[in-house]
Amino acid sequence: MEGWSRREDERLLGGRGRYVADIAVPGCLDAVFVRSPIAHGLLREVRCDAAREVAGVSGAWSAADLSDLPSCAPSTAYLRDLPPVPYTGVARLSTKDAVAGREWPSLARDRVRYAGEAVAVVVGDDRYAAEDGAGLVTCRIDPLPAVVTPAESATDEVRLYDGLGNVAFQAAAGRPIEDHVWRRAAVVVEAAYRQQLLMPTPMECRTILAVPGDDRLTVWAGHQMPHRLRRELAATLGWPADRIRVVVPDTGGAFGSKSPTFPEFVVVAFLAVKLGRPVRWIEDRMESLLAATRGRGQDQRVRLAADAEGRLLAYELRIDADVGAYPHLAVGLPLQTALMATGPYLTPEVHATVRSMLTTTMVTYPYRGAGRPEATIALERTMDTLAHRLGIDPAELRRRNFIPPDAFPYTTPTGRCYDSGDYAAALDLALRTAGYDDWKAERERRRADPGALPLGIGVSCYVERSGGEPGALHEFAAVEAREDGSILATCGASATGQSHETTFAALVAESLGVDERRVLLVEGDTEELPEGVGSFASRSAQVAGGALKQACDLLVAAARERAAGLWELPVEEVAWSDGALHPARGASAAMGLAELVKVTGPLRVDGRFESGMAFPFGAHVAVAEVDPELGTVNVLRVVAVDDCGVALNPAAVRGQALGSAVQGIGQALYEGIPYDGDGVPMLPWGLLDYLIPTAAEVPPITIAETSTPSPVTPLGAKGAGESGCIGTPAAIVNAVADALRLDDPGLLQTPLTPDVVWRAAHTRRQEAPR
Amino acid sequence: MKPVPFDYVAPRTVRQAVEALGDPSREARVLAGGQSLIMEMRLRRATPRLVVDINRVGGLGRLTVSAQGTGGAQETGAHGTGGVLEVGALVRHAAFERPGAVPGPLGRLFALAAAEIAHPPIRARGTMAGSLAWAHPASEWCALAVALDAVLVLDAVDGARAVAARDFFLGPHLTAREARELLTLVRFPLLADGTGVAFAEHRRTCFSFAQVAVAAAVTLRDGVVEDARIGLANCADRPVRARLAERSLIGAEIGPPGARPAAGHPFARAGAVAAERDAGPVPEPYADPDYRRHVAAVLVRRALREAAADAERRPEGVDR
Amino acid sequence: MKITLTVNGDDVALDVEPRRILADVLREDCRLTGTHLGCEQGVCGACTVLVDGEAVRSCLMLAVQCDGRSVRTVEGLSGADGEPHPLQLAFSAEHALQCGFCTPGFLMAAVAALEADPGAGAGDERVRALVESNLCRCTGYEPIRRAITRAAARLAARPGA
Ligand SMILES: Cc1cc2nc3c(=O)[nH]c(=O)nc-3n(C[C@H](O)[C@H](O)[C@H](O)COP(=O)(O)OP(=O)(O)OC[C@H]3O[C@@H](n4cnc5c(N)ncnc54)[C@H](O)[C@@H]3O)c2cc1C
Ligand code: FES
Ligand code: FES
Repeated sequence: MEGWSRREDERLLGGRGRYVADIAVPGCLDAVFVRSPIAHGLLREVRCDAAREVAGVSGAWSAADLSDLPSCAPSTAYLRDLPPVPYTGVARLSTKDAVAGREWPSLARDRVRYAGEAVAVVVGDDRYAAEDGAGLVTCRIDPLPAVVTPAESATDEVRLYDGLGNVAFQAAAGRPIEDHVWRRAAVVVEAAYRQQLLMPTPMECRTILAVPGDDRLTVWAGHQMPHRLRRELAATLGWPADRIRVVVPDTGGAFGSKSPTFPEFVVVAFLAVKLGRPVRWIEDRMESLLAATRGRGQDQRVRLAADAEGRLLAYELRIDADVGAYPHLAVGLPLQTALMATGPYLTPEVHATVRSMLTTTMVTYPYRGAGRPEATIALERTMDTLAHRLGIDPAELRRRNFIPPDAFPYTTPTGRCYDSGDYAAALDLALRTAGYDDWKAERERRRADPGALPLGIGVSCYVERSGGEPGALHEFAAVEAREDGSILATCGASATGQSHETTFAALVAESLGVDERRVLLVEGDTEELPEGVGSFASRSAQVAGGALKQACDLLVAAARERAAGLWELPVEEVAWSDGALHPARGASAAMGLAELVKVTGPLRVDGRFESGMAFPFGAHVAVAEVDPELGTVNVLRVVAVDDCGVALNPAAVRGQALGSAVQGIGQALYEGIPYDGDGVPMLPWGLLDYLIPTAAEVPPITIAETSTPSPVTPLGAKGAGESGCIGTPAAIVNAVADALRLDDPGLLQTPLTPDVVWRAAHTRRQEAPR
Repeated sequence: MKPVPFDYVAPRTVRQAVEALGDPSREARVLAGGQSLIMEMRLRRATPRLVVDINRVGGLGRLTVSAQGTGGAQETGAHGTGGVLEVGALVRHAAFERPGAVPGPLGRLFALAAAEIAHPPIRARGTMAGSLAWAHPASEWCALAVALDAVLVLDAVDGARAVAARDFFLGPHLTAREARELLTLVRFPLLADGTGVAFAEHRRTCFSFAQVAVAAAVTLRDGVVEDARIGLANCADRPVRARLAERSLIGAEIGPPGARPAAGHPFARAGAVAAERDAGPVPEPYADPDYRRHVAAVLVRRALREAAADAERRPEGVDR
Repeated sequence: MKITLTVNGDDVALDVEPRRILADVLREDCRLTGTHLGCEQGVCGACTVLVDGEAVRSCLMLAVQCDGRSVRTVEGLSGADGEPHPLQLAFSAEHALQCGFCTPGFLMAAVAALEADPGAGAGDERVRALVESNLCRCTGYEPIRRAITRAAARLAARPGA
C-alpha cells in the first residue's frame, strides 16, 4: 500500500490488473456471435456449414442446431436444448406477466426482433478464426416492419409477438388529478420530452469466461451481481446453484449495465458445459454498440400547475417507455421514474403513469441513474419553464416549494417515504459556489450587447433513491478472524471501479479497531460467500457497508462470548477495545483476535443485513454559452452539490460525482442512438458516431457536498455515484433554454446537438421577440 | 473486429511497391498510416488479400519546396508564386503542425487544418496522402486539395501520371486512383505572400469528423478581393471547391477589417452562394442537409473574414 | 511470419500471422495484458503503447509492422528495481483511475510526451491535448490532468532532468 492511495492502484497502474480478457486458460475457445442485420423479420434459415470448414473453427451453431447437439460430458446428457434467457426477478424490474408468452431465445429461433440479435454462434481457437467462421454464416430473414418509437408501438399495428399487444407493462403512482385542479391554477405548464436512448459505454465491454471441470462450472465475468448470475445460470442449466462458481475479477466499468444474464452468457455457459471445454466471449465495441443494453428511452408528457405565487398544486407525468424487444430485463424500470416523480417538492397532488412498450430494438436496462434522471429532467425542465412564465427566479421558485427539513420522514403522493433532507441547504450552497448572482449580472450584460453570445444559467434540484427496492434491500457479509492475525472480510457487493477494496477494508478496520493492513477484503466470488446481492442502485456503501459493519459487530459479540467462556466470566465482563478482548477483572491479560482463534478454533460470522431505502439529493447549477448561429453549446461551469449522508470514503464519492457529472453532460449534449427507417442503429463507425465526452468537452466542474445523515442506515450513509447523471443534464438543458430565452421547452430535446439548438434558436427568432 | 487473413509485404522502393500492387489477383491495399485502413479491415469492410506496407519505402517522407516542382502537371495562377510544395506519401499529419514546416500562408493554412484532424496520436501516424486516397467526404486535406489545385502523382508499374485534385474525387471513398497505383506525391502550388488564410471547422466533439469544415485563402488589394479560394468538407459526397462563391467575391470591396459582416456583405453573400449553389450535402444523423447548408454559409463567412484579417495583418513581403 | 520485437527491453522472437494486431500479439503472445482494448478503432486510446518511443494506438498497427522495433508497454513503466514511475504514483495520489481500464493508455501517452519533451507537463495546454486524446468513462478526466501535471513537476525537479 506504500505510496498508493487505493489498494487497487498498484496492480491497475502496473498493468497487472486482471480483467476477464486477461485470464489465460489453456484450450479456451473464443465465441463470436453472428448478428441479425435486420431489426424485425421471420428467420427462415441459418446456414453454418461453411463456417465449420474454416481452419481454427471448432463449431458453429444456430438455435436449431443446438437442440440436438451431442453432449461430451456424461453428466450433461440431459442438457438438450439451448435454454432461453431468464427474466429479472429482482427489484421489480420484470414480472411473470410481462414475459408470459414472450420467450427470449438465447439465439433467435424463428423471428428476429432487433438488429444485432444473435442468430448463430461460432467458436474457434481465437477470435480471428471465430470471426472468419462467423463471416461465412448466412441467414435468410423475411423482413417485417420495424417498430422503433413508443408511438408506433402503441398502435399495435405491427405486433412483436403474435396474439399479444405491444404494451408489456403498465403501472401508476399517485392518484389521478381532477380537472378542477388544473382549471383553478394560475399557471399550467404542459410539455413533452424525449429521454433519448443512451449506451452506458463502460470502457470494457461485456465479458464472460466459462470453465467446466469436475461436474462444475466456473464462470468469470465482469459483473455487478455475481450471485444473481450464478443463480440464473444454474436455473438455465437445470443445476443446483452450488455447482456453479462465479468470480468477478477486475471489471472495466459497468454503470448499471452489467448486472443481468445476457443471451450471450447463456450460450457461452451452455456451450462450455456441452463441449466440456472453456469458452469465453469478449464483446467488442461494435457489437456492444449494437447489442448491449441501453438506458433511458422514454417519451414523456407533463402538466405542472401552480398558483400565482408559484406554489405547486399538481404535477402529472405520463410515460411511454420504449423498453426494446424483450420484456425480460427491465420492463418495470420506468416505474422508478413514476415513483420518483414528486421530486423534492411539496406538491400536494402527483400522478404518474407508465406504459412500457415493446419495440424492435435492443433491450432497455438500467444505466447510471436508472429511472431517476428521467424523473428529474422532466420535473426540473418544467420547473424552469414555470419560473419564466411566472417571472419568478428559478431558484426562488424551488425554494418556495421544497419539502422542509422538519417534514421528514415525508411520504410523497407517489408513495415514496423520504428519509431525510435539507434541499434548500444544497441549493444555497450550489448557488453560492457557482456565483449565481455574478452570472446573472453577466447574463443581463450580454442580453444588452447584441454582439455577445447569449449566456444562460440552469438549476436542477433532485432527490433520488438508493439501496434498491423492497425485496432487494439486503446484503450479505462475512468477517473471519484468522490465526495469523489477519481479518478476512467479504460481502455480496461487486466493484466495477468504486474502490471497495479500499473503502470496505477501512470500514472493517475501523469497526474492529484493528490496523487496516490486517484486513483483506474479498468480493465477487460466490465461493467465499454463500449468498449475495450485488452492486447496483447506489447501494454498496449503504447496504453492503451496513452489512459489513453488522458482521463486525457480530464478530465482536462472538469473540466476547468465547473469551467469556475461556475466562469463565459473564459476557458483560468481557470488554472489547482496540481490536482486543479485555477481562473486566481477574488476572487474565488482554487477548487479541488471533490468539483467541488459536486457542478456540476458527471464528467466522456470516450476516444478512436489511437496509431501508435512502433518498440522496442535491442541487446542480450549469452555466452555458450558446452560439445561436451554429447551435454550439459551450458549458462554462458546472457545480454539483450532492448529499449522500455520511460519506464513507469522501475521495471515492467525489470521484463518482465527477465521473457521473461528465456522463450527465454526455446525455445532455452528445449521446444518442439514431435509428434508420428500417430500425437499425446508425452507428457505422462505432465510437466515432456514438460520441462520449472527451476531456475537451468537460467544463470546470466543482463538486461540493452537504451531509444529512440517513436515519434508516446504521452508518448514516446514503448511496452515491449516480448523482451527476440525475442532476446535471437538466441543469445544462435549462441553461441553454435560459440563454435562448425559450418558452417552449419542447423545442430542446436531448441530446442538444448543434442542429437541435440551432433549430430552437431559429424558431424563437421567428416568433415575436419577448 | 479482427481482419481477414492476408499476405504482407514491406517493400523498400516505390518500384517494389507498385510491382506488388500490380498483381490484379491479389486485391492489394496500400498501408500507410493505417489509421483508416486497419479500422476498415477490423470492421471487415476492407478485405485485402495483400497488404503493401509502404512505411519502409525510402524517400516517401519528404516534404519539400521547389521553385517549379519536379515534372508532372503544372498549375500556377494569380495565387501561386511558381513555387511548389511536394508532400511525399509518408508525410504524417503531425508534420504540418510543426512551425515553419511549410513556408508562408500555405504553411499557416496547413497547420490550422492539421490541428483539426482527429487527435495527436492519430496525427502522428496518419498521412496526408492516405487521407486523399481514403477520400472521406469530411476530410480536411481533401477539401484543401480541391481548393488549392493540388496535383496527385500516381505511380504504377508502367509509369506515373498526374491527376488534378478536381478530377480525383468521385464520391465517398471513391477516387480516380486505380487499385494498382500508388499515390507517391502530392503537389500544392504555394500561396503568394500576403495571402490571408483561415480554416473553420464545426464538429460535435474534439475528435469527431467535421460536420462541416471550410478552408479559405484570399488575396486583397486595397480592400478589394483579388483572388479567393474556398474549400468545403462534408458538404457533398466529395470535397467541394466553392467556385461560384469564389467568383462572387472577385472584385468585391470588403470594407473595414474586423467588423462583423452584415447580411449584404460580400463574405456573407459568398457564404450563401457556397451553401446554396456549391454545396450538395447528403443526409446524416444530427446534421441534415438544411442544417449543413446553413453551417456552411456561416463558416464560409467566418473563414473569409478571418482570412481577410490574416491578410491585413501580413501585408505583402512581410510574410514568412 | 517470423518477427522480432524488443518488448520492454527484451528481444522476443515471434511467429505471427500478418493480420495479427499488435495489441493482440502483446496481450496473447507476450502475455502482457496491461494493454487494453476499449474500441479497436483508434478512438479510446486504452491500447496506447510506445513504438520506438512514439505513442501509437496498438489496435491500429499490425505486429509485423513492428519487426525489429522496440515496443514499450505499461508493464515496462516501473524502474528496473520495481520502483514505481512518478506517473503511476501521481495517478494514485490524484485518484486518476477508478476501474483502471483506460489507465494504461493514459500512462503510456503521458510517458511518451514527457520523455520526448520534459516541458510537456508544464504548459497546461499540452497536458490538456494529451488528456483529450484518450477516453475515460469513469473519472471525468480532471484527476487525470492533475496527475500528469503532478508527475511532470516531479520529473522536472529530478536531478539531471
Ligand atoms: C479516431 C480517429 C479520428 C479521425 N478523425 C479524422 C478527421 O477528423 N479528419 C480526417 O480527415 N481523418 C480523420 N481520421 C482518419 C485519419 O486521418 C487517417 O489517418 C487518414 O484518413 C488515412 O491516412 P493513413 O495514412 O492512416 O492511411 P491508411 O489508413 O493507411 O489508408 C487509408 C486508405 O488509403 C489507401 N492509401 C493510403 N496511402 C496510400 C497511397 N500512398 N497510395 C494509394 N493508396 C493509399 C489505403 O489503401 C486505404 O485504402 C480519423 C481516424 C481515427 C482513427
Ligand atoms: S483500443 Fe485502440 S484506441 Fe481504443
Ligand atoms: S478509470 Fe474506468 S475508464 Fe477510466
